[in-house]
Amino acid sequence: MKTVFSGLVAAAFTFTMAIGAMPAQAEDLAAIKDAGEMKIAMTGQYPPFNFVNDQNEVVGFDAAIGKEIATRIGVEPVIVTTAWDGIIAGLLASKYDTIVGSMTITPDREKVVDFVGPYYHAGRGVFVKEESPVQSLDELKGKTLGVTLGETHEKWAREQGGWDIRTYKGLPELFLELNAGRVDAIVVDNIPVAVAVKETGEKIRQLDTPDIEGGSVAIGIAIRKENPELKAAMQKALDEMMQDGTYEKIAMEWIGRDIR
Amino acid sequence: MDVALMMRVFPFFLEAALVTVQLSVLAGGLGLAMAAAAAAARLSPVAPLRYLGATYVSVFRGTPALIQLFVLYFGGPQVGINLDPFAAGVVGLGLNIGAYMAEGVRGAIVSVDKGQAEAARSIGFSRAQTMQRVILPQAARLMIRPLGVNTVALVKGTSLVATISVVELTYTAQRFIGSTYKPFEIFGVAALLYMVMIYGVARVVDLLDRRYAID
Repeated sequence: MKTVFSGLVAAAFTFTMAIGAMPAQAEDLAAIKDAGEMKIAMTGQYPPFNFVNDQNEVVGFDAAIGKEIATRIGVEPVIVTTAWDGIIAGLLASKYDTIVGSMTITPDREKVVDFVGPYYHAGRGVFVKEESPVQSLDELKGKTLGVTLGETHEKWAREQGGWDIRTYKGLPELFLELNAGRVDAIVVDNIPVAVAVKETGEKIRQLDTPDIEGGSVAIGIAIRKENPELKAAMQKALDEMMQDGTYEKIAMEWIGRDIR
Repeated sequence: MDVALMMRVFPFFLEAALVTVQLSVLAGGLGLAMAAAAAAARLSPVAPLRYLGATYVSVFRGTPALIQLFVLYFGGPQVGINLDPFAAGVVGLGLNIGAYMAEGVRGAIVSVDKGQAEAARSIGFSRAQTMQRVILPQAARLMIRPLGVNTVALVKGTSLVATISVVELTYTAQRFIGSTYKPFEIFGVAALLYMVMIYGVARVVDLLDRRYAID
């Protein structure tokens, strides 16, 4: 039993190390062109960027941008939905070619993946229920904050400290918890909240946080490292659609404004 | 309660339930094969085989199925095993449930009265013949219940593959909640379909049990 246990521990260590230090891959662009398709990952649970419509199809801003890039590279787009907490691991394990899933570009992430873009900018927002007495960030000290597990907002909230932090899978859960009164505020990207408020009439209010860290951040498209050709091809496709009006059309359709 | 929403999403949930059924059937088949092999190994007179069987059972019963799926799906490519999500789900769940089923199979075999084997050997049956003609037919009846319980656990356990991007019943529900914010209705529909499937499994087990009951 002891050997089985130490074997398991060794396997777990190897696994963890391996995830952190993937070997260099061959150029992905050629592989994508050979396959004739580009697998694009997102959660499918982040409206209006990526979500399922009435027909159970994954649509939204991310889906539209991802599909347009694939089309411009000359391959068929294939949308893959996967859980956020394993989405980078899945990319590194070659389960798909890219993540067009509203991922904030951070130095930590740049150590393991390359980013194309940014393809839009978003900002950190702190939201409370409409009738909440809370007016500023300071008044939230000692209260309970909801964040999405693994998002940059979670890291930020932990670094700030002074409040209880609860983590959830995504925005839908955060809204439900805020409405149920189990958290006093949620820290999320402001664009999806603004759209949700417009669409579903959520009774929530954004705190005025002019100096908040991450009030405007760059959101990028992740690919595996050491793929300069793929990176260049995707960047070119993105730049072109920003110039010829396609980007603006997609942004207006899903967000209601240009968010580059 | 938004019944209209439930009606609208229902067809998609039926499709998703089909994925759950496929996963259950394939993983269950693999599990049964693994269980038979592991039980045979554990009851073998050859010591290394016994250790191999015991190691398989203790590794897969001693770690969470979710971790097993992650090691296989995310870690697999490191050692040259690159399975697509559905295949990883089948293999992961099959290996996991196989370890539990192995104990059901082994338990049933060892519950057959020792005298049966002794009697068979004394009238000149070989070890293999004894197992095949005397022990297994009796043990098979005793396996029905434990294998049924494991199958029910397997059907429910398929929801784990939502984490490795298989769009089955649970992940379909999660995706719809992303755009509707109606967990009660959406998870309600998913729960209902799980119940129907598990009721089906339970009925089959009941029928088999009654058909092969030892009076």
